[in-house]
Amino acid sequence: MATPVTVEPAPASPHRFGRITLDMRQNLPPWKQAVFLGGSLAIGLVISIVILAFAGISPGELAGELAGVANADSLRNTLVQAAPLILVGLGASLAFRIGFWNLGIEGQMMFGGIFATAVSIAEIGPPSLRLLFMGIAAALGGMFWVLVVLLLKTRFRVNEIIATLLLNYVAMYFLFHLLYGAWQDARSAFPQSTPYKPFERLNDIGFNVNAGLLVAIAGVLVAGWFIHMSRAGFYMRFISSNPGMAKVVGVPIQTVTFWIVAASGACCGLAGYVNVASQEGRLTQSFADGYVFSGVLIAFLARNDPIVVAVVGFLISVLFITGQQLQVFYQIPFTMVQMIEAIIVIAVASSEFFIRHRVRWIR
Amino acid sequence: MNDFFINWLASAPVTAVPYALAALGLILSERSGVLNLTAEGLMLVGALAGAGAVLSLHVHPALALIIAMAAASLVSLLFAGLVVVLRVNQVIAGLAVVFFCQGLTGLIGTVAGWQNKQIDSLPSLNIWPLSEIPVIGRIFFMQDPIVYLTIAIFFGVNYVLFRTMLGLRIRSVGENPAAADAAGVSVSLHRIIAIVAGSCLIGLAGGYISVVSVKLWVTGMTGGRGWIAVALVVFARWAPWPALWGALLFGCIEAVIPRIAAAGIAVPQYLMLMTPYLATIAVMVWVGYRQSAVTREPGALGQPHVREERR
Amino acid sequence: MSVALELEGIRKSFDGVVALNDAVFRARPGEVHALLGENGAGKSSLMNVAAGLYAPDAGRIIIGGEAVSLSGPSDARARGIGMVHQHFKLVKPFTIAENILLANRRPSYRGGMQDIRAAIKKQAAELGFDLDPERRVEGLTVAEQQQVEIVKVLVGGVRILILDEPTAVLTDAEAERLLETISGLAASGTAIVLVTHKLHEVKKYADAVTIMRGGKTVTTLDPKQATAAELTELTVGQTAPLPARSQRGNTSTMLNVGALTYARPDGRVMLNGATFFVRAGEIYGIAGVSGNGQAELAETLIGAREPTSGEIFLDGVGNVGNAPATRRAAALAAIPADRYAYALAGGLSIADNFSVASIRSGRYGSLAMIDRAAMRRDAAAAVKEYDVQGVRNVGQKAALLSGGNAQKLVIAREFSREPAVIVAHSPSRGLDARASAAVHESLLAARERGAGVVLISEDLDEVLSLSDRIGVMNKGRIVAEFDRPADRQAIGRAMVDHA
Repeated sequence: MATPVTVEPAPASPHRFGRITLDMRQNLPPWKQAVFLGGSLAIGLVISIVILAFAGISPGELAGELAGVANADSLRNTLVQAAPLILVGLGASLAFRIGFWNLGIEGQMMFGGIFATAVSIAEIGPPSLRLLFMGIAAALGGMFWVLVVLLLKTRFRVNEIIATLLLNYVAMYFLFHLLYGAWQDARSAFPQSTPYKPFERLNDIGFNVNAGLLVAIAGVLVAGWFIHMSRAGFYMRFISSNPGMAKVVGVPIQTVTFWIVAASGACCGLAGYVNVASQEGRLTQSFADGYVFSGVLIAFLARNDPIVVAVVGFLISVLFITGQQLQVFYQIPFTMVQMIEAIIVIAVASSEFFIRHRVRWIR
Repeated sequence: MNDFFINWLASAPVTAVPYALAALGLILSERSGVLNLTAEGLMLVGALAGAGAVLSLHVHPALALIIAMAAASLVSLLFAGLVVVLRVNQVIAGLAVVFFCQGLTGLIGTVAGWQNKQIDSLPSLNIWPLSEIPVIGRIFFMQDPIVYLTIAIFFGVNYVLFRTMLGLRIRSVGENPAAADAAGVSVSLHRIIAIVAGSCLIGLAGGYISVVSVKLWVTGMTGGRGWIAVALVVFARWAPWPALWGALLFGCIEAVIPRIAAAGIAVPQYLMLMTPYLATIAVMVWVGYRQSAVTREPGALGQPHVREERR
Repeated sequence: MSVALELEGIRKSFDGVVALNDAVFRARPGEVHALLGENGAGKSSLMNVAAGLYAPDAGRIIIGGEAVSLSGPSDARARGIGMVHQHFKLVKPFTIAENILLANRRPSYRGGMQDIRAAIKKQAAELGFDLDPERRVEGLTVAEQQQVEIVKVLVGGVRILILDEPTAVLTDAEAERLLETISGLAASGTAIVLVTHKLHEVKKYADAVTIMRGGKTVTTLDPKQATAAELTELTVGQTAPLPARSQRGNTSTMLNVGALTYARPDGRVMLNGATFFVRAGEIYGIAGVSGNGQAELAETLIGAREPTSGEIFLDGVGNVGNAPATRRAAALAAIPADRYAYALAGGLSIADNFSVASIRSGRYGSLAMIDRAAMRRDAAAAVKEYDVQGVRNVGQKAALLSGGNAQKLVIAREFSREPAVIVAHSPSRGLDARASAAVHESLLAARERGAGVVLISEDLDEVLSLSDRIGVMNKGRIVAEFDRPADRQAIGRAMVDHA
């Protein structure tokens, strides 16, 4: 038998009101799960709309902005924006699958961007291979920044949640150090690097699709194969499900953990590069803003599955583009996007409680 | 050079207070077994509420700080509901609350127009004649009232945690909820009490930054101090007094940054700004290196309480 | 005579699985009332209902003649029902006094502390316990912790004291003392409910016994009027005897453990130079009072933790070092006590759990592409061979298996690779009689095949019935060895000797 449990009731209310008990339930029909999930998502979105209405955006205007995403120009922007979001979603999913809380997504993106830009500035490799070199450098940059944390965790038991979050700030100030200093574009008053050369940028390949999206889709396929079909992916499940048991049955925990965490950082580094090379075409100071929680959200909603990450990443991209437009036209700060993301996570996480428990009232 | 040190040490308590109060609030809630990552968000809520109260309601700064505490504890009820009642993963819930608060405070601060507006604040006390003592007077007896209140709060929380029935129950719920439950202690209720009470202190920490220390509201102004407070709790091994010393250490580090630039010492400013975060990591490394796997972490930290598995 | 506690028609189910079905129970003041049954018969569930921990789905609870509905454990305590759980409900870092104060509410901490200290001293003196209220629970022995539990309940003034398997963790001598103490308590008018599966305790100490099977109460009778055989049949039905064992010759050494030490991070030494060897075709039993390093020994042997020093030599491999993978390659099989800690990933499928141990051999596909069909095929065959019940398909989660069937799955996996050495730690813990018998048969079959078996168990009966040689573990060392047939008394002395 499974492990049915009763959960501690809400503060006991003797006699008159009976008592509330919670039972774990194992199987809820999928359609019921979908109802709970859909219902809670709807509640979350309604709350978001209400908050935005208080901030001065009527639901009608909001609908207009959302409808605007469907026009060709916005659709292109949405697809361009989707690429880094999918990549950070993959990065988060990989790490979360082995219980490594990689919250250093922004820092790793920044280091991805910095490494790629370094290749551009130092003009490493011939023009025909420059893009490839920049991509590799970006992946290595992200990898470097996350492996620092893995080292701290394994050697000194430093909690990776805190370490990754703090290193985001360190990466940010390092980026500022470069952009307000050695790397600042001499022809610009803004903290940004010299623009990339045309062959260093990710361009559109037609049908509103940017080359960055291809990178993201390639990432989805590789991650999907890795998780579902490779032996390492098989091992991964044991590491997250029961590390003690995994060790005893001979799963090479350290090796697998190392490569998964490295891959997670590489995805985030690539996300940073895809973002700068397809949108601004140069290193800017805020290109990684808002990606930490987006990565967490995408991985959480996709249940760490790469294919679903692609779908959720696209939807969050719509949210991003809408948020950018609200910022431009209504002066609503972009952090609003994070607030809505958080509301969605809270709503979905709450629905899981009702999917997993039955609440009963016994008199 | 002497002036440099006196100025530096005299300003350290002001930078230390937010760390101290936030870490103490986290300790209170983590002692009940709830892994609490919400400090960064709740400090922003406190900071915004305090600043907003002064700017829009024109209340006395002291009242603004109380409003900051109330606002943070109100938002913490959301967190408590998620982790205690709905048993959502405490890391996910904590992160969600932080980013919710970042978004919400950014939105409200901008819409209400509170950005970058000067705030009239609490004057510093001048404990005469002690303040006239050279060096020591400046450092110890010319601070704002909240600095002294913080020390009183530490005594108070320490007393409640270790010398009252309520504290005994909160700690029991954090160490072994099954035992506490069997002893008739309501796990949910005590966790909620600990979260909300702790969040009051975190709110005060945030309000102090905007109302007393910086005297401005700026979006995202806590700048990672909440995460540093989370690290401080580990450093202090969930005990109040070490958290105060740790906070003073970080207060000193943070206070020295602007002073080095002001003293005309040429150091790259953005690399200087990394110091608190790198120092935090260094401290964590030291903790991990020193205490060979023995922590005084509450036994049930991070685990939702589920009564009696049946085998 | 009056009735102290009466339970009528109690039903309780968990997610549709019936744990208690029309259970009936009645205890009188001043009697020791045994509740006898196998693991999983519903004894603990029934008493958890009486103690207010579980809310029954149906039925009546009558305390001292008054029908009540209990809102929780504190409500039960207020009505004079106290329970000492099998897994102690103590807060380890707290002192004894703090633990007892926690469970016995006082208006103020300071006054309460003084009050509680006095109460502990008085109660402990009456029971003949030696407890210092200021000691921390984490430093106490298991027997002392149990004394704290009993004092905790008695300080609150109970009329009905429920003890859930109180002797399971004690030595024979300690158990004897405890049961004497409890008889004394009953004589002073308290109703005692003794939940147990040990017949001799029932025969010797109980005034009445209620027998449970499959969530139902079978009957209540006077144990003095029934023979042990009758009681056994009422509890378990029939059991088959263990198969005959062949004689073993002087065979080669399969496993050699030399001066193994392990110190916990807090500095406590759990293994202190444990040394022994196991021959081919031999079951080497390790007996001892729980907490003398058996768990650490088992975990070290299977590779779950690294020893501080010492060597583990496997036949044909040499020193296995610290990598568990080396041991797996050397055909060491692990049957750990806590299945869900070291043997199964409950959230993953039966097929995954079965095939993970052999995936390195390449049997289930290459590095780049795993072969799920082969995994399912082999797992299904093993499930059939080892008679793992409750499997609809091998894609279902391992956590859905009952204790006995989960253990069969572990054994199926570990034996699928023809192990040379088997490390089994309390392999029948939590299993019913039938499942235990199946596990024991598997171990004996491995012995017949020529494997060396290490059997670490706190259940002395299990060790005695299966082992060819027995080592006694005391304070992290093997202090004595006995050949079959071993003298139970001598083993008992070696277990508690303070040499």
